[in-house]
Amino acid sequence: MENLALTIILLPFLGALVTALSPQRVAKWVATVFSALAAAAVIALAIGFDQAGKLAREVDLLSFGQTALMGLTIDRLSVLVCVAVVVLGFLVVAYSTAYLTDGNREHPHDGRPRYYAFLLLFIGAMAGLVLSSTLVGQLVFFEITGACSWGLIGYYEKPKALKSAIKALIITHIAAIGLYFAAAWLFVDTGSFALTGLAHLNDGAKVAVFLGILIAAWGKSAQLPLHAWLPDAMEAPTPVSAYLHAASMVKVGVYLFARALYSAGAVPEVIGWVGVTMAVVTMVYGFLMYLPQRDMKRLLAYSTISQLSLIFMALSLSVFGSELAFKGAVAHIFNHAFAKSLFFLVAGALSYSCGTRMLPSLRGLLKHTPLLGISFCVAALSITGVPPFNGFFSKFPIFTAGFQLSAAHLLLLPLVVIALIESVASFAWFLRWFGDTTPGEASEAVAKAQPVPPAICFVLVTLIVMCVASSFIAASWLG
Amino acid sequence: MNGPLIVNALAGLLIVTSLLVTSAGNATRAARLYAAQSLVLVLIFLTLARTHGAHELYWWSVSAFVTKVVLVPWIMLRTLATLPEKEDLPGVLSPAALIVVAALIVGLSCYAVSSVHLAVVDPLKPALGVSLGHFLLGLVCIVSQRNLLKQVFGFCLMENGSHLTLALLAWRAPELVEIGIATDAVFAVVIMVVLVRRIQRSMNTLDVRQLTALKG
Amino acid sequence: MTSMELLPALLLVPLVAAALAFASRWAGAAAKPLVTLIHAVSMTVLLLGTLRLAGELLQVDQIAALHGWMQVDSLGAVFLGLVGVVGFLIGVYAIGYMNYELAHGAIDVGRLCNFYGIFNLFVFTMLLAVTANNVIMMWVAVEATTLGSAFLVGFYGKRSSLEAAWKYVVICPVGVAFGLYGVVLVYSNGVAVLPVVGDASSWTALLFNAQLLDPTLVKLAFVFVLIGFGTKAGLFPMHAWLPDAHSEAPSPISALLSAVLLNCAMLIVLRFGMIAAKAVGPSFPQTLLLIFGLLSVGVAAFFIVVQRDIKRLLAYSSVENMGLIAFAFGLGGPLGILAGLLHTINHSLVKALMFCGSGNILIKYGTPAMDSVKGILKVAPITGALFIAGALALGGVPPFNIFVSEFMVVTAGLAAGHPWLIGLCLLLLTVVLAGLVRMLAATVFGAAPDNVPRGDTGALTLLPMGVLLVAMLVMGIRAPAPVGQLLARAAAQVQTGSQPQIAQAPAPGTAVAPTPDATPAAR
Repeated sequence: MENLALTIILLPFLGALVTALSPQRVAKWVATVFSALAAAAVIALAIGFDQAGKLAREVDLLSFGQTALMGLTIDRLSVLVCVAVVVLGFLVVAYSTAYLTDGNREHPHDGRPRYYAFLLLFIGAMAGLVLSSTLVGQLVFFEITGACSWGLIGYYEKPKALKSAIKALIITHIAAIGLYFAAAWLFVDTGSFALTGLAHLNDGAKVAVFLGILIAAWGKSAQLPLHAWLPDAMEAPTPVSAYLHAASMVKVGVYLFARALYSAGAVPEVIGWVGVTMAVVTMVYGFLMYLPQRDMKRLLAYSTISQLSLIFMALSLSVFGSELAFKGAVAHIFNHAFAKSLFFLVAGALSYSCGTRMLPSLRGLLKHTPLLGISFCVAALSITGVPPFNGFFSKFPIFTAGFQLSAAHLLLLPLVVIALIESVASFAWFLRWFGDTTPGEASEAVAKAQPVPPAICFVLVTLIVMCVASSFIAASWLG
Repeated sequence: MNGPLIVNALAGLLIVTSLLVTSAGNATRAARLYAAQSLVLVLIFLTLARTHGAHELYWWSVSAFVTKVVLVPWIMLRTLATLPEKEDLPGVLSPAALIVVAALIVGLSCYAVSSVHLAVVDPLKPALGVSLGHFLLGLVCIVSQRNLLKQVFGFCLMENGSHLTLALLAWRAPELVEIGIATDAVFAVVIMVVLVRRIQRSMNTLDVRQLTALKG
Repeated sequence: MTSMELLPALLLVPLVAAALAFASRWAGAAAKPLVTLIHAVSMTVLLLGTLRLAGELLQVDQIAALHGWMQVDSLGAVFLGLVGVVGFLIGVYAIGYMNYELAHGAIDVGRLCNFYGIFNLFVFTMLLAVTANNVIMMWVAVEATTLGSAFLVGFYGKRSSLEAAWKYVVICPVGVAFGLYGVVLVYSNGVAVLPVVGDASSWTALLFNAQLLDPTLVKLAFVFVLIGFGTKAGLFPMHAWLPDAHSEAPSPISALLSAVLLNCAMLIVLRFGMIAAKAVGPSFPQTLLLIFGLLSVGVAAFFIVVQRDIKRLLAYSSVENMGLIAFAFGLGGPLGILAGLLHTINHSLVKALMFCGSGNILIKYGTPAMDSVKGILKVAPITGALFIAGALALGGVPPFNIFVSEFMVVTAGLAAGHPWLIGLCLLLLTVVLAGLVRMLAATVFGAAPDNVPRGDTGALTLLPMGVLLVAMLVMGIRAPAPVGQLLARAAAQVQTGSQPQIAQAPAPGTAVAPTPDATPAAR
């Protein structure tokens, strides 16, 4: 099983090398094959892990003297998230093969080997981060994802895109300083980098290490005050936005926090308070920033910010001793990955066929491009948490846990209420755009839409299915 | 035994000559003054050799004579003969200011070495102070002069300062070291002079203020 | 050949090669192939010889030669290995680069012979600097590195390169003269107190007896040494020569200056730091190293962000990295020293790659100005890709090697109880990363100018870079066992060597013997 896990990490890296050296014509097919193999491996890992009774296990990979530098951890948390990031990675690569072509109306451009190589590197780094059992391992892959996101955001080589890429890299690197500190502190105190060592820290050191991890997590998950890079990162090609800014990279932050909480045992409540407060502040900020947006991708970026705040809130609530909140948070990581990817990929498909993704010029999707209309509809309902779509099933336990905890911690009540109001308000806001764009007569851009290529259709349909199914998968997996 | 006295007196003369080198009107005169100064240095070495009864220092004086009294001034004068020296490049410091600075530096250096406790140099403290001061005066010469050649002399003065320190403190070092240091001085001067000539040829000036291509 | 004979013989190789290279200008039409062959042979022998010596130092603590005038210990072996390996790779690159310069009429065959001659001479002086055991010889060697390379800096004879050479040849000897003062202070102190007077110029003997030295003098001497050899190592504020010299020299020479020369000076600072730590306790030298190191990182970081010239930017990055190395040594402790040594190796590999890359850029574009260099990835894809990897590595991005040593510096800093300094240092390193990716954004991407012909430079200019990239990855993911062992031994040597002895006799295998076995003649 360890070998399988290692394969999931190394296969994309190998693929990246091969892709980078391939001629442009074949590069995308090479990348698709490698990402498909990685996805198959991760599904095999999940099935194997399930059949072996879901017993958590750890193994050291690289050591310096007696100190383990890198290792693998295979448990319910890591395997679930790994499935999401690797499978979505494959879907995004497949989508890109159709999207990055000369047929694209908004961005006619044939994808270069560099694009696919970076994307594969990114998949490998994400898998590595999720499966890492040490803070150093997490830091290494954290930084690799940062470098890859730089390469991908700036991919179109326009000055603005290059600037946004630098911004993303630098802000997340500043965040990484927190992780540098956390890892070094853990080592100095316990003589080991293993995450399990978190449990042996005294309270003061635990607070310090968790603050470091939180800073890193806020940076990658675009939370205040390190959020500024995400909206600008929308300069990236849309499949990249879907993957980096919905499914995987922004999930690094919440995953780091979740993994640390999972390993640390009891955590001082102050971390919970800091986490919840920042989460609610960011959530409100994210919602307020919905209002002026016209570009669908920027709207989605802010929606991502506030959705991640919800996950942060749930994880912070778990500090107060609620297992329900933790499970809800992990389920939401999984569910949101599929729902938000779908939303971004719909935006990309609209760019491809209509040549625009500006919301005001889109009308009548359901009539002229039914698949895109349905996808838009499913994505919006999932994100805002309407049953039977997946968002509901992870949001509901989070709020339940919040209200349960409020009984013991009265101060939490206003925060949870604010979060609930935000959730309802964002539903209303999405409903408004949904009403404007999906039904009715077609606008000019939509009427002239060109048909969507089969690869894109395949990806969208898969994601629509997952938007219904993922919450059940997560629920049964987490038990 | 008045050896230390002579050494200290000669060291004072060293400072005077170095001021003369720094404030000399043109490079030719500076070269001659530098030869004179190096001669003073050689005399110090000889006195020290007699005082300490150290045959190593006789060799030092021979090599210093060859390199510093003969070779370096000769190289400089030869170079000067090929350079059209028309430029008037006054230094930043006037002679009067220079004397004030020199007095300050030598005073400070003497104060600095007063805390040094080494049996070898106890009677030679003033000379040791002068050697350090001389070294720093060379630095002043480099910083305050606009003429590239005068900067080379500044370097030579620094060399003489450290050479004197070496003779006072480290005369028991293996000969090879001394030879290394003496040849180093010659090589450094040769390389600097070659560069000066190439700069003169390509820019037609010896003014260090014209070297402004590189910044930031 | 025993290792005692190999050591001096190894130094002779580049010296002889230099003489032959100078002489081969009279070989007529055969001059170019002849001089290239001489250079190639010299570099290969250098590589094999240093590797063999470094390998032997995994078994023994010290190899001494020439009556104790020269010695290589585990610490020296790290630096000797760097001179050998990086020197060889840059030497190979130089062949490709200079062939191009010759073919395009930038130089003639006579100057090519001079180039290889001075190149080998320069390598000889650097070998001397890392193997010298006589403290005054250390100074002579560092001084000789300046004189040896001055003409390489001014090689192109342009206005700007002559100016750079002038600054180089004035600032470095002046700075290093301070180093001489420090050396002389230690030496004369040693003459007064050491049991055997003849040992006073031997570094090993001085270190062994460091506790006998006068504390005030040792402190004063270390300040002088730090200023003096710190000038040569490029520490702020004595770094003024460095950006000019590095940017104006031919690219292989820039690589040699930055990746090899600076380390040699740093080694000598470290050696005197050991003496000082043992004589007056570690806090004095460490504090100074911390201050100079952090200042260098800080100032260089802000120069890196505003540079418009690729090579100057890389030069300031050298200041930054040497600062970081000094900072790591200043943090002290086993981890800090190990981090410093590891960073020395890592920086050398990356910086060699980057300057070679800048050489390829110069070949294609004829200028290092960021305003003119656009779209490298389209003009010379392999160079461009290597350049991206190198710049990211330099910024401390994993899986490249610099990340490892930077992370070790962080850990060492927390272990030493300096969390705020580490935080500041990491922020400054972020500024550096920003400067580097800004450079990449300006040069590697974008549309290529029409007047630049497409196609990569030749194999000889790309192969060494490829080897360096592999080495960077290997060092970043898992350092080979011998390298790790050598580093651990060297760090242990610095650590135990700079601690006061508890008993009269040092434990076997930990401390260095008082004087090499063959010292009598030095007395």
